[in-house]
This record gives sequence, C-alpha cells and structure tokens, in this order.
Amino acid sequence: MIEFKDFSFRYASGKANALQNVNLTIDDGDFVGIIGNSGAGKTTFTYAVNGIVPHHYKGDFYGAVTVNGLDTVDSKPEQLAVHVGSVFQDVDAQMVASMVEDELLFGLENFGIPHDQIEQRVTEALEEIGISDLRMRDLDSLSGGQKQKVAVAAILALRPDIIVLDEPTGELDPQSSEQIYSLLQELNRRGTTIVAVEQKIGLLCRYATKLLLIDKGCVMLYGTVREVLQQSSRMEEIGIHVPRIVSLHKELTRMGLVRCPAPVNMDEAEAMAKEALG
Amino acid sequence: MRGVLDYVPGNTILHRLDPRTKLLISLMICIAAFISDSEIFLLGLLALNLLFAFIGGVTAQALRMLKGLSKACVFMFILQVLFIQQGEPYFSFIGIHITDYGVRTAYMVILRLLDATLPLSLMLTVTRLTDLSNALVVHWHLPYQYAFTVTTALHFIPVFFNDMQAITEAQIARGVSLDTRNPIKKIKLMIPMSVPLLVSSVKKTEQEAIAVELRGFNLRTRASTYKVPHMHAADAAALLLGAVLIAAAVLLNR
Amino acid sequence: MIRFDDVSFGYNDKGGTVQHISFTLKKACITAIIGANGAGKSTVSKLMRGLIRPSSGRVFLEEQDMAGMKVSQLAARIGFLFQNPDRQICKNTVREELLFSLQFTVPDRDRQAACCEEVLAALCLNPDDDPMVLSRGERQRVAMATAMVHKPELLILDEPTTGLDYRECTEIMDYVRSLNRNGTTVAMVCHDMEIVQDYADEVLVMSAGRLIASGSTAAVFRNREILDAASLLPPQIVDLSLRLGEGYENISDVDGMAKAIAGKGAKA
Repeated sequence: MIEFKDFSFRYASGKANALQNVNLTIDDGDFVGIIGNSGAGKTTFTYAVNGIVPHHYKGDFYGAVTVNGLDTVDSKPEQLAVHVGSVFQDVDAQMVASMVEDELLFGLENFGIPHDQIEQRVTEALEEIGISDLRMRDLDSLSGGQKQKVAVAAILALRPDIIVLDEPTGELDPQSSEQIYSLLQELNRRGTTIVAVEQKIGLLCRYATKLLLIDKGCVMLYGTVREVLQQSSRMEEIGIHVPRIVSLHKELTRMGLVRCPAPVNMDEAEAMAKEALG
Repeated sequence: MRGVLDYVPGNTILHRLDPRTKLLISLMICIAAFISDSEIFLLGLLALNLLFAFIGGVTAQALRMLKGLSKACVFMFILQVLFIQQGEPYFSFIGIHITDYGVRTAYMVILRLLDATLPLSLMLTVTRLTDLSNALVVHWHLPYQYAFTVTTALHFIPVFFNDMQAITEAQIARGVSLDTRNPIKKIKLMIPMSVPLLVSSVKKTEQEAIAVELRGFNLRTRASTYKVPHMHAADAAALLLGAVLIAAAVLLNR
Repeated sequence: MIRFDDVSFGYNDKGGTVQHISFTLKKACITAIIGANGAGKSTVSKLMRGLIRPSSGRVFLEEQDMAGMKVSQLAARIGFLFQNPDRQICKNTVREELLFSLQFTVPDRDRQAACCEEVLAALCLNPDDDPMVLSRGERQRVAMATAMVHKPELLILDEPTTGLDYRECTEIMDYVRSLNRNGTTVAMVCHDMEIVQDYADEVLVMSAGRLIASGSTAAVFRNREILDAASLLPPQIVDLSLRLGEGYENISDVDGMAKAIAGKGAKA
C-alpha cells in the first residue's frame, strides 16, 4: 500500500512545487495509470514512491509518503527497493550487463539473495515474462520491446510487491506496447501493485484499474477508469487526449441516446452503439 | 571501434577460459613481443594470434583489427625508414638514405605493434565484461565500484557512438556541411556538436545512476557475486604456453 | 516529388533492412509511413533525405537521381525533423540555432534574418530564449524551426510526436497541416494511428522491410488484411464503423459517427 499525506515537493533547482498537496492511497492490487501533460509532475510522483525523491534529488519535502508502512524519508532507496521495483523510460540507460542473464543477476546479487535460490528466481522471472529463450542472448541484439521485457524481468526477479514504470512504451510500436501492458496486467492479477505513467491513454483504459490525472503538480482526478472517463470534459479542459470512443459516448449521452457508462474498449463501444441504435 | 572490440558470443575453449587466464596470457604475449628480437619469433606470434582468433571464432574481427592497424603501420614504417639513416643504403634521394637497417627496424616495430595490440583486443571479443569484472573483484579483490565504473564506461561506448552518429545525421539534415571533404572545416563544425552529445550523456549517466541505486548497487559486497569463474586444466595449459613464449623470446635473443 | 525505384538497403545484420521498395511520394500531400518497430520505416525516411544511400536501386527527387547530390545542401529542399530534438540543438539562443542552419545555404545576412523572423512567428518562438531551458514540446518546435527556416518543398518527420503530450502533439501537427496547405509535401513516420487518421492523406504500409500496401488513409484503414499483416490496429472510430458494417463505411470522426448513429436510431 502506498499512502500520500499532504505531500508537496519542490526540487532544489525548481521555482514552484513539482507536486502540490497530494493526498491519496494506492491499495494493494491496484493497477494505477498516471496521465497528464508534460511537466505536470508525473515522473516526480514515481520518484516519490521509489524514494528517488528526496534521496537522490534533494529539495523541500512536505507531508509524508509511506510505502508498505515505510516512511520514504526515513528509509533508504535500497530499503524501499525491496518493496518497489522501478522501470524507466530510457531502456538503454538502465541496463548494466551485456547479456540478459547477467542483467537479472545484478539485482539478485546486490540484494544478497541466497545463491541457492538465484537460479530459480532467474528461471521463474524469465518464464513469467515469456522470454526464457532470450536468457543467453546479448542485449545489443534485442529489439526495443524485448529489452523492455528484460527490464521488467530484472525487476520481477526481485519479487517486489509494487512495480513503478515511467512511460515503459515510449519508444515502442502499438503491438509491443500492447504486449508489455498485457504482461503487466497478468502480474497485477497475480497480486503485484502496478503504477505506470503513460501517454497512450487508450492502453491504460484497457489494462489499468484506476486512473490518476495530474495537472500542474495537482491531483485533478483519481478513481476507477470508468469514474475518470465519465469526467472526460475535465480531461479535455486540461488538454488530455480523450479516447475517441469516450468522446462518442459523451456525444451520444448528450443526445440522450445512451445510458451506459463510458466504454473502455472496442467491444464496449460496439455495445454502446447498439444500445443507441435500439 | 564499433564491431571490432565488441564481445562475440560463443562457446569455444577461449570463451570458456577463466577471464584471469585470458588477461594474463594476453599480457604474456605482449611481453614476449617486446623482449624478442627475432623476426621469425615475431611472425610466429602473429600467426599464433590469428590461430587464437580462429579458435575463438573471431577471425573476422581479427582481420578487421589488422585492417584498422594497417594505416598506423604504413605511417610508422615510412617514418622509421626515413629517420633511420644508419646501415647500408639501398638507394638515396635528396640526401635521405633508405637503408637495410632502417627497413628492418621499421619492419620489426610494426610486427611488435601488431603482436602487442592484437592479444588484448582479441581477449575483449571472447570475454564478457561482466565475467572479467567478476573474476577481478572476487579473486584479485579489485573494489567493485572500480570494476563497475570501467565495465559501464565500456558498455556505454557503443551507446555514445550511436548517439554521435544520430547527432551527425541530424546536423547534416538541417544543412550543416558535415559531409564536407575539408577536414579542418569539418572539425570546426564538429565542436558545437559536443553540446548535444554532452547533454545526452549526462542524462543517460544520471538515469543509470538512479537505476543501479534502486537495484541495490550500494548493498553489494564481494560475496554477492554469483557466477565465480574458476581455473581448470585448460587455464594451466594456457598459462604454461605463455611462460614458454616468454622463455623462448629470451632464449632466441642470444 | 520523391520516387523510389526498386530500392534496397541493408545494415550489416541489424534491423532496419528494406528490400525492393518502389513508390512515388505524391506532391502536396501528407503521406504517413506506418508499420511495426523494425519494419524499415525510419530507413525509408532516411533514404528519402539522402542520409543513407541505397545499396541497390535509385531514389529520385523531382526526377533527378539523388546519388549525386550533396546531402547537407539538400536541406534547402528537404527538411527533416527527428524524434529527439536534443540531437539538433547546440546553440545558446533560438536565433543562433536558426542562423546555424542557414549559414551554409543562405549567404546574405539580411535574407537570413528575414527567413528567421517568418518561421519564429509561425511557430510562436522567442528568438532570445535558451533552447536548453525550454520544455520538450518547445524544443521540438525549435528543431522544427531549424528545418523549416530553409523553406523546403518537402518535409520529412520521423516520429514527430513521440515523447510529446497530446497538446504539444496537436500543436506540431497543426503547424504541419498549415505548411501542407501552403504547398509543402509532407512524409511522416508515425506510430499513432489516430494522428495518421487525422492528418495523413496517403499511407505507405511497411512490414519486415517491404512495402506491403499503399493508398488513401481511408482505404487502407478499412482493410483488415493489410493492417493485420503489418500488426496494426485501426483508429477507434474506423474500427467501430467496421464493426457496425453497412451504412457506416465512410465515417472516421466522432461527430460523423454520432450523427450517423442518431440518424439510424431515429429511423429504427
């Protein structure tokens, strides 16, 4: 569980607060998609969860953030890392090894996982992500999507309760993005809490359970995907991309043709259209 | 650089040797090359290097290295031949003598250069950096931080190389004449490009620092290493070969 | 505008290889190049600009073989916007940045200044700003300015919207559309099918290094076989119109769909 209480943060180099007065709880088993414009504070939010703020980036820290009961100010990032795994946008800059297997070993070795359990952890993590065949491959020879899967596997091997991802599909094509998110959904169904910053809102609608909309450092909307999509006019005001089927829902609702909630995928959109057609 | 010093995956006897052995035998070949004064021995070392490359399945890399070194060799050869005036001249022009001694010395320098450069470079193509750093940290007690810094730096070379290439492309595309044949003009134009390269490097290293911190870098101890390389009979044989080479170099000089 | 005649290109053993590509880029249109990662889209865009040379086949610019042209000089005729603006930006102010682009193609100082003013105004940029402190979206506009300051006839965009938020994305694309209305031909590599739907007239579909289809955006997005072959999904409204079948064939925008549904619903 992640709890933000009256949390504000201003980077030492910043003029204004990067995040302002955040009060929210992310429950165990949630899959939270974070949306917002550039510079809204999405990345800072992930940093506040994994302890990069205030440990790596210093600044004025107000309020409290607790992760599984640990206060992020009192705990070192590596202590938090046992609970929270982090995947970053620039996949090349987070790789340390030249071979897939070594990439997974790095974290396991560092956290002092007993050597007799390491083999099992590596095998399982690779299997869960479905990349056992890549184990002995060179990272250089992999595609962007495969590398991103390796990054997730390297975190998964550490078996954190929470995984935080910052635009994990930034450089990927629609199909690879889809694969990454269905993997995350699978992990989430088995109990891992997922927090993902993502520009492609269509993906979040299909895979996340909750949406968190941040604008100019403030939490504007936070709730289940449907609750947030119901407020699509707020999203439009802020300049967030609203999925077309949601805009259509708004239009049809305005015309008084449908009563169903906003659709999150194409099947629901089809059902909505059929409802409107009577 | 690219594609020449990169690791080439494989499972040959050379790949399986302990990284320490590979490091030591490379150094031994270098030493033997510097000790020896026999051209036959030096030619033999060159052949041995190529044989190693063949065994390790990196012949293509070795040939590319030789090709890369050939420019330096030609340059050094001409320089030596022109500067060394002792010995019996083959012919002379405008007061410069091309002598038998000069040609032989130049030829020996080149052979040594090749013999000494190839082994270490070849070693890198058959050894994973992670394995090398593991061996040095566990057995030779090299502090992990240093080993990690070096492996990361080497790991980033191709990344930066790609960046540099992309930056060059971007600059040419906007009309900067980096495709000029005039080298001085080109260098002048390259200077402002260090800005984008620096920006991207700083960003990447920052990201890497954060990423490794969150993956427990600071918790690591020497005992953390999971894959510890060990010496086997083949390693002993390789080291013996190295010793024999040095001894032969010394004996042949008499 | 640009014509590819049986062009192949291969990086040694890495992705991005293309084989036997032939097409003609239509003048004064916006053409999108779509397909999965590694299908060869970026390779095609770089071949168009002359940044890489075909290993076989020929590329023509207005029926002239590009093989003999000096690549940097071509900036006056073909602009190129990369997905990462930071690879272009190297000066302390936006104005210097633009002048750096122009120094090789426009020798005259006064004309240089005039070129700059025009593009600065069009992209709402302040010439005295330091590009490094601007936001990612603003830096992308600076990069766009360094290409457009040459007033090229053809503009090539390599994933221009990656890393931008929706608002920044529409700003850039609306500018591209206004250029196109004034006659600039545009070719863009793009992953976002909604953007392609909204802005592109024509599409080239690539898969595994080959050009597997080309045609009007509307026609290609309604062809499931092509999209499946290229591992692409149609934009949502097009998808919905396909699901609803007869009577919805030409609808690709929200308003049109809402009206069509309302109309049909009323009849029923």
